[in-house]
Amino acid sequence: MMDWTTSEGTGAAAASRTIAHAKAESERSNPLAAHPMRVAIIGAGRGGTALLEVLHQIRAIEIVGITDRDSSAPGLKRAQELNVPVAGRFADLLKDQTLNLVMDVTGDPTVESALRQQRPTGVDIVSGQASRLFWLLVQHESTLQTELLHAEKLAGFGSFAAGIAHDMNNPLQLILGMAENLADETNIEAVHAQALDIIDAVKRTTAICRDLTSYSRRASLRQDGLIHVNSKLDEALKIARYAVALQDIEIRKRYQPEAVVKGNPDKLLHVFVNLITNAVQAMEHHGTLTLETTAAAGATQVRVSDTGCGIAPEVLTRIFEPFYTTKPPGKGTGLGLYNVKNVIQQMHGSIGIESHVGQGSTFTLTFPGDPSLGEGDVQS
Amino acid sequence: MSEFKSGFFVGGDSCNGRVLIVDDEPDIRKVVRMTLQKAGYDVLEAENGEKAIEVINSGENRLLLDVMICDIRMPKVNGIEAIAYFRENYPRVPLIVLTGFPDTDMATSLLRQGVVDYLVKPVEGETLKAAVGRAMERRELAPL
Repeated sequence: MMDWTTSEGTGAAAASRTIAHAKAESERSNPLAAHPMRVAIIGAGRGGTALLEVLHQIRAIEIVGITDRDSSAPGLKRAQELNVPVAGRFADLLKDQTLNLVMDVTGDPTVESALRQQRPTGVDIVSGQASRLFWLLVQHESTLQTELLHAEKLAGFGSFAAGIAHDMNNPLQLILGMAENLADETNIEAVHAQALDIIDAVKRTTAICRDLTSYSRRASLRQDGLIHVNSKLDEALKIARYAVALQDIEIRKRYQPEAVVKGNPDKLLHVFVNLITNAVQAMEHHGTLTLETTAAAGATQVRVSDTGCGIAPEVLTRIFEPFYTTKPPGKGTGLGLYNVKNVIQQMHGSIGIESHVGQGSTFTLTFPGDPSLGEGDVQS
Repeated sequence: MSEFKSGFFVGGDSCNGRVLIVDDEPDIRKVVRMTLQKAGYDVLEAENGEKAIEVINSGENRLLLDVMICDIRMPKVNGIEAIAYFRENYPRVPLIVLTGFPDTDMATSLLRQGVVDYLVKPVEGETLKAAVGRAMERRELAPL
């Protein structure tokens, strides 16, 4: 059982007991998580927003607040979404007795000088060029993560070849066979029926190309928003069937209709494709794949379960490490679950695994919930 | 030679032979049937390996089946398992693989197991008919 809960406010109330237990265990082994560094951010423009996004994912850091002279600065809106306090003036943030560090990303020398004058004892300040350096590092890290995700996604396309060939060549066979027959078909009704068959086959091949080109595109941050989890899981199933044979897998769906999460739809799709593909591979083409969603005010949860071989405890402890794979050389990049973990963290969620060797595994993703839903509104 | 065998088993010049197409896609079975029926073959269908085993074991098919055309990627009993079963239990019936995925290693392995042809979809009608014609010449007499 492992857990990567990224912060408070991730809907722990609705998280399973096992996940909550794992979090407590993790905090005992990591004192920084139990006593996080408390940071204030001054400036909520591009730099401040990027900083907020990164620091928010780090378990050992707690953001005590963010402020900006411009009340419409994008970072302030983002802070509200993340439940990070927004302060009217930086002086308000400096009043916090437990503050450890102030990060000034305004680039304004007057702000820097005012901060240094008002700095409480024991509080460090990062500003000016140091702050700019930090921002550049943040940007670099963000770019690397996006590139890694995309590289892993494209590497995975190799395993799609058999599925794509199967799904493309079958309708092509129909088109060719029908067209050959039409060349000397004299029955007008048969001609009409076969023409319709050809049109239908062309539409199917077009849909394959559309799905795959859409999946292969680079995730754009501009698309971040509310995602309907159930339709995203269905979309992932369509993509995963190119990578793994689903014909002998029983698929059970237990969807709660209003399950929604905030985040990047392309990245979440990739997460689901990864988890479904792994689940089917674990079953060696025979078994039951269960996709379940639940939604309540506290949390939205997604569970992907299989009845496969399970994960050995020694593998379980390393499963999210980059470049760790149990697949034969050339069959896996070892970046799949590493990227899954990163995306979940970016969405301020957590991932837990329950696995029994010889019986199967369940991956549980827990995301901050939609406050408009009532507590306990969970479908069995 | 093949005409003699056809006449012997299916009783006349009107039928060139009996062919079983095993494919999970109804569209594929439809076009293969269309193409081969026009060429004078009697065509049977099965949607997977399990059904194919049922078909081949039912009634006179045990004796009268001349050629099998089999896909690889299918539910339940897949093509590889079905082919192994057919080669073991019905070695006299020539097998043609008709698959959507060209895989050299798999083709080599299957041809070594006695599969007479490995065709990759989409395949033209003339190519399919020629393959079935060649397979007809490879079939052996059923034990009476």
